[in-house]
Amino acid sequence: MSPSAPARDASTRSIEPFQVSLERFEGPLDLLLHLIRSQDIDIFDIPIARITEQFVRALEDELETMPIERAGEFLEMAATLVRIKAQLLLPRPEQPDWEEDPRAELVRRLLEYEHFQDVVHVLEGAEAQRGRHFAKGYVEGRPVPALAPVELQLTLADFLSVAARIPEPAPPVAIRPPSQTVTVDEKVSLLRRLLAKTKRVSFDRLFRPWGTRAHAVAALLAALELARQQALRIEQVKPFASIWLLPGDRKRAQATAAAAETAEEIE
Amino acid sequence: MKVEQIVEATLFASQTPLTADEVARADENLDAERVVEAIRTLRDAYEESERAFQIYQLGDGYQILTRPEYAPYLERFDSVPRAPHLSPAALETLAIIAYRNPIGRIEIEEVRGVSASSVLRTLLDWELVEVVGRGEGLGRPLLYGVTRMFLEHFGLKDLSDLPAPDELPVVLGELQQAMEAELESAEGLELESSDGPDPESSEDPETPAAQEEAEEEAT
Repeated sequence: MSPSAPARDASTRSIEPFQVSLERFEGPLDLLLHLIRSQDIDIFDIPIARITEQFVRALEDELETMPIERAGEFLEMAATLVRIKAQLLLPRPEQPDWEEDPRAELVRRLLEYEHFQDVVHVLEGAEAQRGRHFAKGYVEGRPVPALAPVELQLTLADFLSVAARIPEPAPPVAIRPPSQTVTVDEKVSLLRRLLAKTKRVSFDRLFRPWGTRAHAVAALLAALELARQQALRIEQVKPFASIWLLPGDRKRAQATAAAAETAEEIE
Repeated sequence: MKVEQIVEATLFASQTPLTADEVARADENLDAERVVEAIRTLRDAYEESERAFQIYQLGDGYQILTRPEYAPYLERFDSVPRAPHLSPAALETLAIIAYRNPIGRIEIEEVRGVSASSVLRTLLDWELVEVVGRGEGLGRPLLYGVTRMFLEHFGLKDLSDLPAPDELPVVLGELQQAMEAELESAEGLELESSDGPDPESSEDPETPAAQEEAEEEAT
């Protein structure tokens, strides 16, 4: 659109001056200007009485539903119009100067407002024009393929044959609390007894027969405890290979073994 | 490596407008002057080879944008933004600020006849206007001006791309003559057009809006 398009195109608001919806207007100046321009009134000779009446009538219906601030703006203008009307009724000098016309200030404001409506049209044009230029990156790259509607070609038998391939869900594992508690000390004495009999003990042997996690933990702690006491050595050839427990420093091992024996007896 | 190609690569890779100084950061041998010169050369080259894009000046920045005649094709893509539209209130307020720059809120409201505080807040949020100083009057009111973003949004090089006040259909100058006496008595009405945009503007490089105008004249 051309920036110099006429600002006041009365047809854009195809409404009668007497049936005005205030929503369309930015404010009282906008409404007033519409009343004047849509009736081809000479802005330098506004029939204040007629315009005031039209302005107030436009206001009447909607004033109560309007937000208070907006209503105030319209009412202020209505008051100004009534004041001008009153001033015009006062006796005037024989040769009235324009600057003494009570309407002069209002006309100046109206024309100024209209002037900026022209600017608004320029900006609208520029905005629309700018909207037709695109920078890089707006067209989506590698668009996601649209999912075409799939026609259902399966029969019930097909469906069931596929369904049959889905494995049965495993029965829920019953979690039972271990019926027996196990202590690290028990594992320590077991380990000692085994070490006394054989040259080396598989770590697995300490807990496999029981198969519970508690036994594995107790066995590990027992092995670590004895290793700390240097009663045994732990060997593993490579990660994840079997773990072997071998007797450590014999003297100390025996000494602690004796102590362990007594502990066992107390138990 | 040719200067034009360095400038071209920099502008091509950027998603926002770059000033000549910003482009010049690409190479030690570049300065703003050489960048502007290179942009001119590139523009001519694009023009000559009928590229679908051109380098446009938006505010004090340069950006590679598609030419407007290709908009209908690009708009078929969902990801391409529709032409943005500001509300009438926002446009009205921007129009006043652009032409009366710098201006306070009260003066804006006098012209519009309605409150401007909420629309000003929105425009500040969108960085279309900014506080440019404080007035002399009571309470030292904040003064507003339009921003670089304003120029970018409307595709303007600078405010001189807007028509001078006396080029608009409603010319306040005539009114000024008609009401000279009133104006003399009432100070500070500021109907002078001296604050408004300067009608003189250099031809090159064109801004999108200015170019459209030229195209319309041609057809």
